[in-house]
Amino acid sequence: MKFSNHISTGILLAAAFFIYSCKKDYGNLNSPTIEQFLANANASELNNLVSGTESGMRNNMAYYLDDIGVIGREGYRFSNAEPRYTKDLLGAVEATLNNSTFYITTPWAARYRVVKNCNTLIQAATNSTLITAAEKSGYIGFARTIKAYQLLLNINLTYKNGIRVDVANADQLGAVVTYDAGLADIASILDSADAGLATAVVTFPLAGFTGFSDAAGLAKVNRALAARVAAYRAQWAEVLTDLNGSFFDLTKDFHLGVNHVFATGSGDKLNPMFIPQNQNGEVRVAHASFATDIKTGDDRINKATLRTSTVSLDGLSSNRDVWVYTTSTAPIPIIRNEELILLYAEAKIQTNAFADAVTALDAIRQNHGLPVYSGALIQDALITELLYERRYSLYYEGHRWLDMRRYNKLAELPKDRTGDDVWESFPLPISE
Amino acid sequence: MAALLCILLCPAWLAAQDKTISGKIITSNLIPLAGVNIVVSKTNRGAISDANGNFTLQAPASAKLVITQTGYKTQAITAAVVQDGVAIKMEEDFAELDEVIVTGLATNVKRRNLANAVGTISNKELTSVAPAQTFDAALNGKISGANINANSGAPGGGISIKLRGVTSVYGNTQPLYVVDGVFVDNSATSGGLNAITSAASGGAPTSSQDNPSSRIADIRTEDIDNIEILKGASAAAIYGSKASAGVIVITTKKGRQGKTAINVSQSIGQIAVRKLLGVRKFTADKAASLSRDPAAGAILKQQFIDAESKGKIYDYEKELYGNKGFTRNTGISLSGGGEKTNFYFSAAQKDEGGIVKNTGYRNSSLRLNLDHRINDDIKIGISSNYINSSTDRGFSGNDNAGVSLGIALSSTPGFAQLHPDAMGNYPANQFGSSNPLQTIALMKNNEAVNRFITGLNVEANLQKSNSSLTRFVARGGIDFYNLATTLLFPGELQFQAVSKGTIIQGNTNNLSTNYIFSLANIFTPTGNLSFTSSTGITRETGNYNNLLNVATQKISGQSNVDQAGALNATQFRSRYQNDGIFVQEEAMVHNAISLTGGIRFDRSSNNGDVNKYYAYPKAGIAVNLTSLGFGKNGFFDNLKVRAAYGQATNVPAYGSKFTSMVVSNIDGNPGSLAGIQRGDATIKPERQSELEAGIDLSVLKGRLSFEFTAYNKKIKDFLMLASPPTSSGFSSQWVNAGDLRNRGIELGMNAKPISNKNFSWTTSLNFWLNRSLVTRYIITPVPQGSFGYVLGSFQIEQGKSATQIVGLNGAGVGVLGNAEPTFQMNTYNEFTFNNKLSLSFLLHWKKGGDNVNLTYLQNDFGQTSADFDNVTNKAGMPDGIYRISQVGSNARIFVEDASYLRLREIGLYYTFDKLSKNIFIKTIRVGASLNNYLTVTKYKSYDPEVSNFGTGFSSGVDVDPYPATKRATLHLSIDF
Repeated sequence: MKFSNHISTGILLAAAFFIYSCKKDYGNLNSPTIEQFLANANASELNNLVSGTESGMRNNMAYYLDDIGVIGREGYRFSNAEPRYTKDLLGAVEATLNNSTFYITTPWAARYRVVKNCNTLIQAATNSTLITAAEKSGYIGFARTIKAYQLLLNINLTYKNGIRVDVANADQLGAVVTYDAGLADIASILDSADAGLATAVVTFPLAGFTGFSDAAGLAKVNRALAARVAAYRAQWAEVLTDLNGSFFDLTKDFHLGVNHVFATGSGDKLNPMFIPQNQNGEVRVAHASFATDIKTGDDRINKATLRTSTVSLDGLSSNRDVWVYTTSTAPIPIIRNEELILLYAEAKIQTNAFADAVTALDAIRQNHGLPVYSGALIQDALITELLYERRYSLYYEGHRWLDMRRYNKLAELPKDRTGDDVWESFPLPISE
Repeated sequence: MAALLCILLCPAWLAAQDKTISGKIITSNLIPLAGVNIVVSKTNRGAISDANGNFTLQAPASAKLVITQTGYKTQAITAAVVQDGVAIKMEEDFAELDEVIVTGLATNVKRRNLANAVGTISNKELTSVAPAQTFDAALNGKISGANINANSGAPGGGISIKLRGVTSVYGNTQPLYVVDGVFVDNSATSGGLNAITSAASGGAPTSSQDNPSSRIADIRTEDIDNIEILKGASAAAIYGSKASAGVIVITTKKGRQGKTAINVSQSIGQIAVRKLLGVRKFTADKAASLSRDPAAGAILKQQFIDAESKGKIYDYEKELYGNKGFTRNTGISLSGGGEKTNFYFSAAQKDEGGIVKNTGYRNSSLRLNLDHRINDDIKIGISSNYINSSTDRGFSGNDNAGVSLGIALSSTPGFAQLHPDAMGNYPANQFGSSNPLQTIALMKNNEAVNRFITGLNVEANLQKSNSSLTRFVARGGIDFYNLATTLLFPGELQFQAVSKGTIIQGNTNNLSTNYIFSLANIFTPTGNLSFTSSTGITRETGNYNNLLNVATQKISGQSNVDQAGALNATQFRSRYQNDGIFVQEEAMVHNAISLTGGIRFDRSSNNGDVNKYYAYPKAGIAVNLTSLGFGKNGFFDNLKVRAAYGQATNVPAYGSKFTSMVVSNIDGNPGSLAGIQRGDATIKPERQSELEAGIDLSVLKGRLSFEFTAYNKKIKDFLMLASPPTSSGFSSQWVNAGDLRNRGIELGMNAKPISNKNFSWTTSLNFWLNRSLVTRYIITPVPQGSFGYVLGSFQIEQGKSATQIVGLNGAGVGVLGNAEPTFQMNTYNEFTFNNKLSLSFLLHWKKGGDNVNLTYLQNDFGQTSADFDNVTNKAGMPDGIYRISQVGSNARIFVEDASYLRLREIGLYYTFDKLSKNIFIKTIRVGASLNNYLTVTKYKSYDPEVSNFGTGFSSGVDVDPYPATKRATLHLSIDF
């Protein structure tokens, strides 16, 4: 017994020493942690956050555009694998929008993930002692602009169910605010970003901001977004002021603006909205009313091309493919001149400056092969005309459903099957 | 380390006068018994009886000889008594009370004194009835107290084993596998299928729905001697951090002293689909109804009429899943040894086709087990195994791109024309985004494994006296594998129009190591009392590195990832180190009362606090009443009451303490984006505590024995990947979220009703059930592990079963079912005629337990389900349409009872022995077997055993799996 006790004590001591000396904390082997960015980030780390933000904005955009496109009856998303596109989104029979399903949970989470990144960028830039004050303002101005844009996309979906604006502290999230308060908050985030950009120097690389990648350019983008928010708030004078600070130009290319861009590089993304023409199974096709409602000669008919065969699913069918995003690296617009022209027209109609409005509408019409506007110069008729132009100019860019909702015209959207519904808003995700 | 070397080099020597002892061992029927172990007590010296029952060894006249053989009662005889010509008669041990069970890392105890219910599976039960394709599948239906579920019928395995209910939700739910002392890795690595299927959104190349095989499938079943199943913390605690979900202790075959035995075996067989769902019978009008557009409907109608007139209506389900896979399994093994060294060697290969063309499984294995006795006191054992396996798993399961076989099939009517033209070109499938015939013909989904498992075992007697024996035991090993996954989708495939061909190559290296150093002292102050004290240290490490390259826009005909226009790489690494220290004391009084107490301290690099040791106690008591004299000469042959308690840890997954920033690039600019998973820097391990109690009894000289066990297993601080408000930027967050418990009972009966020279019948019957309850839950319940309320989902909720299935019920959200079976039963029977002809079968009944069946919904949705046009619902519309109309309002019809009664295995064998002396052959065994041939179930999809989400918490979700298979095999085995 004694002998063994000696040995066992010896082994245990040796072993205890061995174990003690080999304690291990491997750290995160796969990626940096959020804390590393907050410590004292240098310019290159902050630039990584900028690019991550711009990259992350593209995540799950297809769900957002399909949500708005399908409920707004711009088209259908047929998927043999996913019945809920033609069930829940269209309100088939007893189906309703659910708070635990991908169509709201996925895009909602993707947008807030970018908001998280923007907040991280703001905090990291604030904490950094390695950049100038002007550079700091540049990072923060960019981060706030993008954050406001991301919040706007989410409130577009949940509408009167509201959003959270104050989400900087994951342990103490701010309350869910109403639609009106949410839009007001978004407008004020844009304003504070705009103010900061005035004194900023932008040293970081951007991808989809060609022509707008300096502080002045970012401010123009910021004002363009502010104009959209003001229109949603029916603050028409504000729309016109914001447009003045933006890149709005009646004479310039309609596609002038900023985009989500796509590429085949490592860690990059392809445009998820691109589906080649005449595919079967997984398709995005136009609603029948797209072709029946369009005016003769309107070249925007090419945004939904005729298929070689009709596709059908779940009692729905179509013979036109949505053909807005025509390659796998085609950009998705964030905001562009054509929308700004239409915002200008809308604000002018709403402020009864009909002549200015018609000038803008005609710029759109003539560019798309239509004759000048010859209808009545009254608000109702002009709004109907405006909504037509918005419908076809901004087809499948995430507008139609919101526009019909803004003008209380959801009831006018066609229902294709008995028992279908046109929803007004998505529920807040269950996790909220 | 110096201390350890000293132990090896300075053993205590036993000095006594040896004499040569030879004897003969026979059965109660006076038949010579071969292969019996005769060991000189307290030494490593021993002998094995030969074919005539004879043995010879060296031992002091005063030494005790311990004579053991599985299935017979152990005897201890003084060496002096053994003389030439005196036969030692072995008594049959029907109740297997003398079976030795490993209870500690350095100690063991006989079943008659065991405090736990430990299940065992012999090689015979594993391989001698109707062998399964892989080791994991061979366990199915054989473990009382386990809920075993095959993920799919895909070649190469993939099985979920849950011992005594769910032990964790997001932590490890699967048992630890230990092969000859080596902790064997059983992770499942995705080959990147999600990049093609988009089954999980977010764009990651991998998801939990990629259906990879699990690595335990690599082990060759035929090499296994026996398996012990430690079902919970009370028995398994000694194995430490990885053992909270139970331990499956595998011992491979060892060589035995004597003439070299050679065995050659060959099987051939066929694999076929177990069940097909059938397809909808179309008519011209039904074809037209596929489209709501009249013009398109007219075209479809014409297509149908054309196809019908040319006789070109097909059953694509049969074409896809109707292949008959040929199987062959060849093995050769040699075993033998001398006085000091024994060996077992095997070389084997199996090659099996699948029910889908171009799928299959091949496994080649080499094993060498060596045992060497340096002297009477030091023994070393080395087991080494090399495995090469290659699995072509096909393409099945959930998919959001319409490309997996089942999803493509679900929307394709029989009048679609999918066959290649004379030039070999496949037409595009107008009814779906892929042509499944083309997909099968051109794609590849391969997992290739090269694996080395080597174990080392050193046992040394440090000190010996009449009343005390001190032993040192060191055990450990390494498990290294390289897994190369290759996914190839050529540009010609219909769904590769955008990607223009995709190559995904994964390369995974995994190194696991573990060791145990322990000291045990057996102190026997009097004949009626003995103490076993043991103490030791353990360590396990793991180092996993997975590199996945996704290349698109590939150059035609090429399969290297650089032969492509775009390349995306992802890498995931993980490392861990778990350390443990244990102390255990066992006492045996009157060879009847066994008491055990112990404590273990564990820490892990995966815990929030890497330095903190958590303490886990255990205790057990077993009282053998018959050994105490109760009911002597009475009814009971053996009567034991027992209770055991233990705690064990389950460490968090690697990385759960970090909030990562993941890479997300744009246009050449490198970007960092907040990860969606929020870490918890203070994360704690889960703590499981288990109390089990039971009664074992046997009557009629052990011919009939019963085992009753009840257990209560609690999991404290179970880990959840909670769903925080996603407005925080995080979609999931690791938290220690609550407590849950499992309670259950296990009843077992073993009997040998008939046993004589001409006929014997062995039977066993087991019954088990488990109920779980979430007793504390601090976060908001949200649907988990499936597809949300609309289709039926799991949800952890306080006061509810952990495996409840909830969903829309027409009036809101309610409970729709439970994945937990009501109970399970199995029975194994073996009939032997004249010791030559044997018939055995295994029957398994799972009663209750619901699945979320979405396969049928897919077919309804594609309007191709066989019963689409029947009208049996109260709404009076076609059933297919009625079922679709429930989506979005009621998920009840997707939650389906997955009960089944299955004839898992049946085999008939005949053994030729007493062959002519002129040939070398000793025996020839021929046989035929059927595996999973008969299933009685009302479940409507391919098979009630299914799991779209692989091995983990949420098994039983059914989305177009690779259909389950059945096997018929012919066997030939020759012993030389």
